[in-house]
Amino acid sequence: MNPGYPNRSISRILKQLMLLMVLMLPAVPTTTQAAVNCELNYPASDVARLFPESDNYKISYFSFARQGGEPLLRKVEARLGSVPALYAPLNVPYTLYEIYKGGKRIGYIHGVNQKGQYGVLEVFVSLDMKGMIKAFYIQRMAGQWVNKFTLPKFGKQFVGLTLRDFELYDPVSGKGSGKVAAMTNPAPLAVTDFYGLQRAVKKNLVLMDEFVYSTQKGKQ
Amino acid sequence: MISRFQIASKNLLRKKSRTTLTLIGIMLSSWVLVSLLGFNRGYETALNRDIDNMGYQLMVMAKGCPYEAATMMLQGGAGLRYIEQTMVNSIAARPEVDKVTPILMQAFFDPDKGDGGGIAGYFGIDLATYPGMKPFFRFRQGGWFKNDTAAEAVMGYEAAELEQREVGDMIMVPEKNVPLKVVGILERTGTQDDGTIYVPLKTLQKISAIDKITTIGIKVKKDADITKLENSLYQLPDMQVVSFTQVKQTIMKLISTARMMVLSIAIIALLIAMIGVVNTILMSVMERIQEIGILKTMGAMPIDIFFLVWTETLILCSVGGIAGIGLAIVFARLSDILVRRILPYSPGGELVAIDIRLALLTLAVILGVGLLSGIYPAWKAGRVRPLDSIRSEG
Amino acid sequence: MTTDNGVSLEARGLTRVYCRGSEKINAIDGVSLTIRRGDFVSFTGPSGSGKTTLVNLLGCLENPSSGELDLAGRSIFGGGKILGEKALTRIRRDTFGYIFQNFYLIPTLTVRENVALPLAFYKKPGVDGEVDRLLGMLGMNHRMHHLPGQISGGEMQRVAIARALVNRPDILLADEPTGNLDTKRAREIGEVLTDLNRSAGLTIVMVTHNPDMARLGGRLIEMRDGQAFESG
Repeated sequence: MNPGYPNRSISRILKQLMLLMVLMLPAVPTTTQAAVNCELNYPASDVARLFPESDNYKISYFSFARQGGEPLLRKVEARLGSVPALYAPLNVPYTLYEIYKGGKRIGYIHGVNQKGQYGVLEVFVSLDMKGMIKAFYIQRMAGQWVNKFTLPKFGKQFVGLTLRDFELYDPVSGKGSGKVAAMTNPAPLAVTDFYGLQRAVKKNLVLMDEFVYSTQKGKQ
Repeated sequence: MISRFQIASKNLLRKKSRTTLTLIGIMLSSWVLVSLLGFNRGYETALNRDIDNMGYQLMVMAKGCPYEAATMMLQGGAGLRYIEQTMVNSIAARPEVDKVTPILMQAFFDPDKGDGGGIAGYFGIDLATYPGMKPFFRFRQGGWFKNDTAAEAVMGYEAAELEQREVGDMIMVPEKNVPLKVVGILERTGTQDDGTIYVPLKTLQKISAIDKITTIGIKVKKDADITKLENSLYQLPDMQVVSFTQVKQTIMKLISTARMMVLSIAIIALLIAMIGVVNTILMSVMERIQEIGILKTMGAMPIDIFFLVWTETLILCSVGGIAGIGLAIVFARLSDILVRRILPYSPGGELVAIDIRLALLTLAVILGVGLLSGIYPAWKAGRVRPLDSIRSEG
Repeated sequence: MTTDNGVSLEARGLTRVYCRGSEKINAIDGVSLTIRRGDFVSFTGPSGSGKTTLVNLLGCLENPSSGELDLAGRSIFGGGKILGEKALTRIRRDTFGYIFQNFYLIPTLTVRENVALPLAFYKKPGVDGEVDRLLGMLGMNHRMHHLPGQISGGEMQRVAIARALVNRPDILLADEPTGNLDTKRAREIGEVLTDLNRSAGLTIVMVTHNPDMARLGGRLIEMRDGQAFESG
């Protein structure tokens, strides 16, 4: 009798099981359908336009599923003051463009999807290392008033604002004070889209605060 | 007293972990085997049912016109050709035809969609006839349009997710800037329907300023000769006919290759499991060589020992096989989901159909192969001489 | 062919030759002996003297190279005939019970099941009730539902004895039955064997190294270089 045999037999059967699993692997359901995320259509030229002083960028991703989970999602929703959107589950990957100049990180570009009047709003902001908005960009919006919102005059109203400015104002109810409350709507018919854009930027800044700036503070 | 079956089954309990692992091996391979055999049967049945559910077995469109949304969107709608709506009535009048449904496909360029804009596909459909042709559509929210001229849309799941639309929201038809109210969102189907936006035929004709259609779906009467109808439709000038019988044959051809491959894998898995059985039984024979010798001094004939060891194989294979088949039946719906993920096209309904006949057939295969693999260890055990077991000394 | 006149086993010129390479070894070298019904014969001798080989030949566990063996007046070996495994099994199950130094109980069967084990393969007429009778006789009733791992070595050998006797053999062959037991347990097993010989008239052929055990039998045969020398 070979005393080592039972172990060999177990390992062989385990190998057999693994082989089966590998064979079955392509069949394993991707239980969560890839959710729609928000990315720049032309990152190279978009980054150069939104962050003219940059010479390089890196892409990274964050999501509630990977960090913070359900509790963090609830916290963010509470900070935004409304119910979650139908299509914003835990596994939406958020794309973060980290902006560099001479090897040093000088800021970020980050976009979010927001429900608009006739379709989705894809709204990006570029931010410096302290979380102040440097540029505002609408990548996608539907409706005959789109060109009014994409005018530089409208976008400039966001430049220089920080999360503090948005905390003084509730873009869901339209109540509050400060610079955000003072913004003018260039298309009075497009109320949903006007508030949608403000809400998109607030959501953007809250997400950046939770996933990027607060972790940076933690590291310091 | 004690039966030979009890002796055999108690022997298997000696090395519990080894027996368990062998059982798991047999169980998994019989699970895979019965599921695949079930799939072999179920898929074709489901595909047939699906094609019947399609409502229309034939589609007629102008020559060169794309007949499904994906091609239309790839071509940016450039290849669309129109047919007169009067054609619907002339086809409907044919004796073989049960029902017809007119369809208008339109592609609009949306400059804000994706990289450098994209094509949004719209299907103008007849509220009275089309839903009956797609009975497998399930609504996640809402339902079909209020009437055939309503400024309303029903969205496929992915189209709705991309635009973050819910029932009650508005969408804007690109290029035309016409607002439509979303009244229904379909469940995910895993097909191109997910990316399609359905609009009442008349509404889409109005938006596109066209009074024609692109496609006619034809449901043939039961027992009618489809081939004859097909041939007569081919006679129509500048028309092309797409038959789902052909589509089905193409799909079955595609699937058969995959099916053969998976079946080979199942057979390999079964063989591996059986090598496990040979190994387990042979090891247990080697470990018990002295006991087997003693059984022979007690009066056990070689054939008795052969059957004793063979019974062990039989127990392992039947327990493992029955457990595997049981699991396959319990998890048949899970297998359905898995199969759906890997196949290029999956019809609705049960893909893995396991009935009692198939279960028994699989069990017979497992037992047959198992007993064959049990012959060698059993023969080896039968040949043990009593003296081999007794310490040679003196 | 001899007639049965109370003779249980009769060997004439039994020889067993083994080949080791080109060398031939006479493990048993022309042994002749007679064992009568009710004898208790002990075989002793140094290792390699051939005692176990002789008992294996007497017990029909293998064929001799030459010589003759009669069993209860019936010729078994002789005239150069070689018996196959099936024929040997038939003879063994009708005539012999065997016990060994290493008990060889099946660990997953209870004491009672182990004793009943031979009946699963062969059952002589009239042995119903033997299992319980033997367990009672050998004082193992209270242990019948225990597994072999739960009883002592001496008890295991008692179970092996009961198993060997369940088909009522004419002769009990015991190969070093106390080799794995301490003195006290060995003495107990010795008493059991003596009792079986005296009260039940069982013929016992035993191989032993133990001088005390060897003296239990009425006859003592010493093996030296494949030859048997009976003392007394």
